[in-house]
Amino acid sequence: MLKEFTKGIFKENPIFVIVLGLCPVLAVSTKVINAIGMSAGVIFVLLGSNIFVSMLKNYIPDKVRIPAYIVIIASFVTIVQMVMEAYAPSLYKSLGVYVPLIVVNCIILGRAEAFAKKNTIKASILDALGMGIGFTLALLLISLIREVLGAGTITIFPIGSFSGVIKIPVLVDEPIRVFGLSAGALLVIGFLKAFFNWYSEFKGARS
Amino acid sequence: MTYIGIIITFVFINNFILNQFLGLCPFIGVSKNIESAVGMGFAVTFVMAIASLTTWVVYTWILVPLNITFLQTITFILVIAALVQFVEMVIQNISPALYKALGIYLPLITTNCAVLGIAFISVQKRYNALESFVAGFAAGLGFLLAILLMSAIRTKLDFEWIPKPFRGIPIAFVTGGLMALAFMAFDKALLTNLIG
Amino acid sequence: MNDIVKIGSRLAIICAVAAVVLGLANAVTEPKITIMKKMKLEKSLEQVSKGMKIGKFTPVKDSPVVKGYYPLTDKADKRSGYICKLTGNGYGGDLDIIAGISVKGKILAVILLEDDETPGLGKQAEHASYMTKYIGTGEDKPVPVRKTQLSQKDADAVTGASITFMGIGKALAAGSSYVKKLGGE
Repeated sequence: MLKEFTKGIFKENPIFVIVLGLCPVLAVSTKVINAIGMSAGVIFVLLGSNIFVSMLKNYIPDKVRIPAYIVIIASFVTIVQMVMEAYAPSLYKSLGVYVPLIVVNCIILGRAEAFAKKNTIKASILDALGMGIGFTLALLLISLIREVLGAGTITIFPIGSFSGVIKIPVLVDEPIRVFGLSAGALLVIGFLKAFFNWYSEFKGARS
Repeated sequence: MTYIGIIITFVFINNFILNQFLGLCPFIGVSKNIESAVGMGFAVTFVMAIASLTTWVVYTWILVPLNITFLQTITFILVIAALVQFVEMVIQNISPALYKALGIYLPLITTNCAVLGIAFISVQKRYNALESFVAGFAAGLGFLLAILLMSAIRTKLDFEWIPKPFRGIPIAFVTGGLMALAFMAFDKALLTNLIG
Repeated sequence: MNDIVKIGSRLAIICAVAAVVLGLANAVTEPKITIMKKMKLEKSLEQVSKGMKIGKFTPVKDSPVVKGYYPLTDKADKRSGYICKLTGNGYGGDLDIIAGISVKGKILAVILLEDDETPGLGKQAEHASYMTKYIGTGEDKPVPVRKTQLSQKDADAVTGASITFMGIGKALAAGSSYVKKLGGE
């Protein structure tokens, strides 16, 4: 059972190993707070769609399963949109069009089709959590690299008197701006993927 | 904004792939050879232009009058899915040759975020019907341009020595990053100078 | 035939359930969103009004930049300025700006409400400190629309985002001259 959970984090990490659902990863990773918000949205939708697809697997006719899955996913995405707009409007604004685009995030439809439709609810929940956390870790890593190098800051939640922005000395005055731009995002993910390739081969050679 | 302005914006300045990361999966996945890249590019352009117009009609004539714009996301994705099916059937009947060229890419387009993306962006920018259509078409052309350039570069890369961990997907991302840098030369100033 | 009816009806039921659930969710969140938006606008107006009384909104149709204005009156009920709603051309799209402008055209306060600018570059205009370079201009000296009109320090700060800077500057300049035309009346 535990394997369903951990596989998404390392062995089948949706971003670095399977390379799915990249648009939001690259687009919202300019700030750590955006990455956290996007991850929360994706985990919620993934969890919801996996639970419902697994629950309704005997009810949904096989021929129209994809449209049915899309309806389920889109409903959860709309709920995320509404809740985010009502309770975190500034986050909703900075994530922009990428919130509704969670609908076409291949990870979610992919998990429904590859896992939830043939597994129990419990296993599907674990699968969703694992994949969601794997997605979150990857997104956090990319956004940390991009925000620290590209803007010289780390933006998280404001708590009490703390404004939520950590400034990195030196870099905040002279940031390497290209990391904040679209080109920087593509370069960062290219190098990270190469690093993961190298690492898994290195580990494979040792064992 | 004039129509030329919209075209220049979506093809060069806000290129969907290189600037907005929309449609990145096929950009990396289907750009290994020029032939499939062209097929995918044309299929996406075609669907994007029609989808942008159709979702505009659905939004303006159905969702807004009924005051149910909160169903926007769910409606748009269903309209696009149905549209792709319909386009596939029409092409299959009218032109088997075209179907042979584009057919295998069509089912992949439903989950291409570029198509859903242009639908949202057209509504967000409050375009009229023709502007939506032009924006969809231009964004598709931008996609075609980027994927065509990418596939041409990747064909050449096949003959180069690349460090092992970079082979395949990583080098494609790095190439995309360098292309995005080059595309930064197109900015709003270009538009202002060209059409004022 | 029976099969198609069964498949179709099940899909229709799923869609209907989804629509009802979303309708309920919308009923809960929509009032909250409306209130938040109203509060945000009121707070921004309060900030740019500089303590003066805000009058009724008047839409403007004959200007590409000025979308409308709220008249401002001081304690003695004398018309002393306007809050203008302005639309500028940014790098990523339209810039929605509100600005408090004195009757003589002097920029008193500026807030950028909506934009599509690049994070780390043009997005910096969302910080209140960005606007200091415009404040106080418009009456004696012109609103800066070119980098050469700025101090070296301010010019360095807008490097890489000059389109955003020029977009806001031009919108404010247009607002300032519109207000001068409206005058004290």
